[in-house]
Amino acid sequence: MTEPTLFKLRVRYVKRGRLRYLGHLEVAHTIERVVRRAGLPYAVTQGFSPHMRVAFSAALPVGTYSESEWYDLVLTEYVPAPEALARLVAATPTDLVPLEAAYVDIRAKALTAHLTRAVYRIDMTSAEGLAISPADIEDALARICDRGSIEYLRGKKTKRLDVARTLTAFSVEHAASGAFQITLDTHQDNDGSMRPEILLGALDAMLAARYLPDVELPVLETGIASFLCFSVAAIVRVEQSCEDERA
Amino acid sequence: MRHVYEDRFAEIEPLLNRVEKPSRYIDHEWGTLAKPDAAYRVCLIYPDVYEVGLPNQGIAILYNNLNKAEGISCERGYIPWIDMADEMRAAGVPLLSLEGAAPVAAFDVVGFHIPHELAATNYLEALDLADIPLMAQERTDDDPLVVAGGPSVYNPEPLYAFFDAFLVGEGEDLIVEFCERHRELKAAGLTRAEQLRELAKIPGVYVPSLYELVHDEASTRWGHTVPRAGEDVPEVIYKRVAADFGVTDPVPQSVVPYAQLVHDRLSVEVLRGCARGCRFCQAGITYRPVRERSADQVVSAVVHGLEKTGYDEVSLTSLSTTDHSCVKEILSRLNRRLADTGISVSIPSQRLDSFGVEMALEVAGEKKGGLTFAPEAGSQRMRDIINKNVTEEDLDRAVRAAFQAGWRRCKLYFMMGLPGERDEDIVAIAHLADHVVEVTREVVPPEQRGGIGVSISVAVFIPKAWTPFQWCAQLDDAEVKRRQQLLLASVKSRAVRVHYHDAETSLIEAVLSRGGRELAPVILGAWQRGQRFDAWTEQFELSRWLDAASACGIDLREAVQEPFPLDAKLPWEHVSPGVSRGFLEREYRRALEGKTTHDCTRDTCTGCGVCPTLGAGNVLVGERS
Ligand code: SF4
Repeated sequence: MTEPTLFKLRVRYVKRGRLRYLGHLEVAHTIERVVRRAGLPYAVTQGFSPHMRVAFSAALPVGTYSESEWYDLVLTEYVPAPEALARLVAATPTDLVPLEAAYVDIRAKALTAHLTRAVYRIDMTSAEGLAISPADIEDALARICDRGSIEYLRGKKTKRLDVARTLTAFSVEHAASGAFQITLDTHQDNDGSMRPEILLGALDAMLAARYLPDVELPVLETGIASFLCFSVAAIVRVEQSCEDERA
Repeated sequence: MRHVYEDRFAEIEPLLNRVEKPSRYIDHEWGTLAKPDAAYRVCLIYPDVYEVGLPNQGIAILYNNLNKAEGISCERGYIPWIDMADEMRAAGVPLLSLEGAAPVAAFDVVGFHIPHELAATNYLEALDLADIPLMAQERTDDDPLVVAGGPSVYNPEPLYAFFDAFLVGEGEDLIVEFCERHRELKAAGLTRAEQLRELAKIPGVYVPSLYELVHDEASTRWGHTVPRAGEDVPEVIYKRVAADFGVTDPVPQSVVPYAQLVHDRLSVEVLRGCARGCRFCQAGITYRPVRERSADQVVSAVVHGLEKTGYDEVSLTSLSTTDHSCVKEILSRLNRRLADTGISVSIPSQRLDSFGVEMALEVAGEKKGGLTFAPEAGSQRMRDIINKNVTEEDLDRAVRAAFQAGWRRCKLYFMMGLPGERDEDIVAIAHLADHVVEVTREVVPPEQRGGIGVSISVAVFIPKAWTPFQWCAQLDDAEVKRRQQLLLASVKSRAVRVHYHDAETSLIEAVLSRGGRELAPVILGAWQRGQRFDAWTEQFELSRWLDAASACGIDLREAVQEPFPLDAKLPWEHVSPGVSRGFLEREYRRALEGKTTHDCTRDTCTGCGVCPTLGAGNVLVGERS
């Protein structure tokens, strides 16, 4: 039996609003249902428990916004990309809406191997009464980079975030009075990726050492959402792309 | 209203990072139906966490029907898990509905589902979180009406103090009538008490405050309940029934969750009711008469439901799906229709004969996990007592067929402590399990025999209201332990694993199943001592219940171990599924004589009284096999 002709549709979608609290598996599950609701001719795997041939880009931490999440969907029939996109949009909850869809070679590398670059934007405001400047933040981030890594807790396990390998570049901009925007340009692969909230935890500790010397520092662990020296309005994954194809 | 209807999501949002499974609380699922602008609002609450409550079909039906009604909006609520409940209390956030993230106390009606006895403390947990007075009596015109209904409404007495009204029976029409009438009465400016008095006139509505408890020599220790002097209310509230089940919406389900659930799939209710007549089974009485959907209706409902929701599994639900007269046709049509889509069909339980296995084979495909069978008792004598009309040959044939077809594991369900049970019946459970292992070894090739697994699960029998065994006592703990030991000692084969159902929760189920109004303060006391989520083994602490009961002067063990005289007036007889008392008494006597009674969907009417009392009848779409 010859392999039937298959088509790989690559889709970019967002994760925003309340739906940013969904876990990776919950999103994956939801998108499979979207595809079935959209009535697209999806391919299924062979074997004991056949399932839809769909693959996702790297997991996004729960609570993080994204403008650039991706999935590859294998179809058994060609559906013009604009039509496929329209059908997906109609079947998707608005906070996960797909924005673009295009066919790629059926043998194209998996998204997790292809998308080695992730750019994050962090919107933050300094805590009341603290006169933190963009230069302070830049300085603190530079010192974290010099250390090379950050230790943190995940449950009871101690983990290391390799900053030297995952953080390619960063910049800090002053947005409004006391408000800043940090941009992180990061590298991700099978060996690890940036966890912005851990980096922010380390940044907070660094700033607190200077501005709040009397306050005891909280333990650095996954899932942290509140900081001493600033509040974070949003962490947004604004881009995921292939480093080798950088303009 | 004590609370304003407004979106307060911003107050729980900061808590989401601190709790497990935040997707329980975020809503915005596909397929929600609430109407933000409606003037009249209902919040339906399932008394457990989101993942347990969301798949509930009863709520899906009511949610769908209420939202179809003009000017009524229905939202959903669930019980926050203990981590979130504690965070919400600390942050001063009340219980919120899902769709509007609005305080539950701001709704016109709050309706709870009553799935089983072990939800009792969770109603109080929800009301407390919602900032609604726990006691119906303490609520004022500023509070919502708090009502309840569902499969376990047939002895509402232990819960009487917490609810303003119970809605008895099939709620699809009743809930809409109730809410529309309530809206009129409210608009007319009636007080809460006046509203309830009017609402009690709707058939199927039980307003417990209009009834009182009588203790006399005709009743049990719990007394019995009669209309209060001067109240114009019926002596018996009969359940509501959808006589024409075929016209009800076969796909009431609309909400597709994000969270991964235990039963994460489309459900289509293919028939309602079961008339096999197992004498321990409450659902077998309370869901009568038996009504089937046609094969065409089921197949088109499945296709349409899958398109609408995008699920990859559909379950054909009912109490006994393989009894449907067209089940074979339905399954083969669905298999053809769903080939190569990766979508699977499931049926909830296997009928204990070779036909059951044939049907299981239809849905199993390549994947053969375990099969479950429920012989319920080990000896023929005992199976005749409980009217479980299966023989050892039936089981033999079913197991043989299953293991020949490729299954390697099966699970057998039994009960212990049934009326008239002797040691020989316990030993018979062991023999039956050993026999099953022998049968499997005959049909499984030698090199695959290592994979054979037979497990038996033995629950303690819980006598339930409105069954032929409603007069019976529950076996005491010491005797349960002794019989468990006897069973363990009697099993010979090492391929058999024995599991026991938790005896401590069985005690609470038993006392709430057959108890009366005096248990309301016990439930309150258990909740005040920290009890919630009783159905979650790790959250259940019997000592809280025992302490609460002894503070009320009640010995729970003594209460459940007491049989009721056959002529006593029982605590629940004013809330009826339509079965006649004479039928239950006759069935009880026949049980003691070891006489079986046939299934009225396969033979003549056996006179249970449900059809004439409710003005309905069995509706079959073909001949049952
Ligand atoms: S009244 Fe007769 S036909 Fe109807 S459910 Fe009872 S036994 Fe069956």
